Amino acid sequence: MSEVILSIKNLSKSFGKRKAVDNLSFEIKEGEIFGFLGPNGAGKSTAIRSMLALIKPDEGDIAIFDKSVRKLKNSALEHVGALVERPDFYEYLSARRNLSLLAAMDNVSKKRVEEVLKIVGLADRGDDKVKAFSQGMKQRLGIAQALLSNPKLLILDEPTNGLDPRGMKEVRDLIRKLSQDGITILLSSHILHEVEQVCTSMAIINLGKLIKIGSVHDLLNESDSSITEIKAEPLEKVKKILESLNYISDIAESDGTFKIRIANKDLKHITRELIKADIDVSAIIPRTSLEDYFLSLTGDSI
Amino acid sequence: MLIKLIGNEIIKIFGKKRSLLGFLALAVLMPLIIWGFSKGATGVEQDFVRQLEGSFIIVGSVFNGFLVTYITMNFLWVHIPFLIMLVAGDVVAGEGASGTFRIILIRKISRFQILIAKLIATYLYTIIFIIFFAIMSLGLGSLWLGVGDLIVLDEGILILPQEMAWGRFALAFLFATYVMIVVATLCFMFSSMVNNGIGPIIGAMSIIIIGLAIANIPIDIFEKISPYIFTSYFDIWQKAFFDPIPWRDIGNDAIVLTSYILVFIIISIVQFIRKDIST
Repeated sequence: MSEVILSIKNLSKSFGKRKAVDNLSFEIKEGEIFGFLGPNGAGKSTAIRSMLALIKPDEGDIAIFDKSVRKLKNSALEHVGALVERPDFYEYLSARRNLSLLAAMDNVSKKRVEEVLKIVGLADRGDDKVKAFSQGMKQRLGIAQALLSNPKLLILDEPTNGLDPRGMKEVRDLIRKLSQDGITILLSSHILHEVEQVCTSMAIINLGKLIKIGSVHDLLNESDSSITEIKAEPLEKVKKILESLNYISDIAESDGTFKIRIANKDLKHITRELIKADIDVSAIIPRTSLEDYFLSLTGDSI
Repeated sequence: MLIKLIGNEIIKIFGKKRSLLGFLALAVLMPLIIWGFSKGATGVEQDFVRQLEGSFIIVGSVFNGFLVTYITMNFLWVHIPFLIMLVAGDVVAGEGASGTFRIILIRKISRFQILIAKLIATYLYTIIFIIFFAIMSLGLGSLWLGVGDLIVLDEGILILPQEMAWGRFALAFLFATYVMIVVATLCFMFSSMVNNGIGPIIGAMSIIIIGLAIANIPIDIFEKISPYIFTSYFDIWQKAFFDPIPWRDIGNDAIVLTSYILVFIIISIVQFIRKDIST
């Protein structure tokens, strides 16, 4: 059985009258890429800031490697690297100098600075001042500083924010690679597709509360309805048949492809109905997505 | 580790342009003032001569590098504190404003250590700044205007011979540094409370101006509270030019100033350790 790396028990934090995190509990096990999913303002960042001792929770305990963050902050965070929200740096200093300052705090060598610059693909821009960096480069530098101390647990809060699709893919590939290297990762995101692609397990929170937790695979299978794509002709006839079936909802057509919402248990009937009506069916593709699942849990909050 | 942290803070402080503003201001202003005196400061000179001529026969100019330094040390009331506050006010709050607390406070270093490193770095900056002020005033003034006896007008007339003046100036700059450390600590305290670099400067400057008003306006109520206000001891550097040097007074002044420093530091630590980092 895998070791529990991070444990959160009954975490609560309020800002004034607003409860940002409400009795949140979950665990992350060694080797997981754990998705921490929720819409903007769900309480993800507050929970992460609590894990990293940036804010003090009103209630609850957080333990990392069995050490209480509240009581033993320094040793609890010894093997933790993190990127919290925006990657902010000393803009008037070079990337290399920024990392050197942080390396001194982590008690790691200058050689490690070069290693992490190489890992994130910034080795040739290390002497440039951070103020000259694009958002994507800053994001990569943010990941570099998180990797400085050779962490066993990496906490990444919205690491692909502000990146173009290529940058997002690079970061996701990097996360997978780091996981293969044995680093446990907590990936906070509001991008469902990202979590679906990268994570092995996940927790969904909304309004500060834990809504669901489990493996991504199990949670997707748990979903009782899905969006299904149908490619069939003639379009008018297909539409008429789909509209006549009372177990189908939300019918939309675009570029010759229908998208319908259908319960998983009814999926097997649809092929028979279309063939019976002499329709040329070229594809029926279930597109169960985390997004559907998420929406079913949180309503229209994303 | 503390040495490394202090090194980090020094790099950050001197990496910022605002930290060099004070040096630039002095580098421009002091030569201008000294040049002005060298070209003749008739009004000031007449004031001096008027007070001296009853007892002395004045031959030539009373101005030399020492006297100009003594006069410019009056910058220590407001101008030099302001330049020091530019850095002291930003050293903690600036990290909050720029969001960099999120990369330094998540490491295996305690907030206490980080704050102490910042405080020491602020003090080092203050010391370096006063040394630079000394070089630009006493050093440049002596080279430009020459040296001689120092005439000090306070409650009476005191003429310090040239060989004694150097030591007295060293003492005066030492006391001035201590006063500026109080100013830096006050501003540092405000800096540990907020997340912008301007608030601490305004806060500390307001307190100094109010404090100086209380210390200097001769109203009964002000005179009663004046001994308890640190700005009343801003003139401690002037006591280096008294004869004999009032060591007992200076010791008492230093105790009051040290008490303020300790109070400001304790408040800073408590504030910073309890602070939620939400930026």
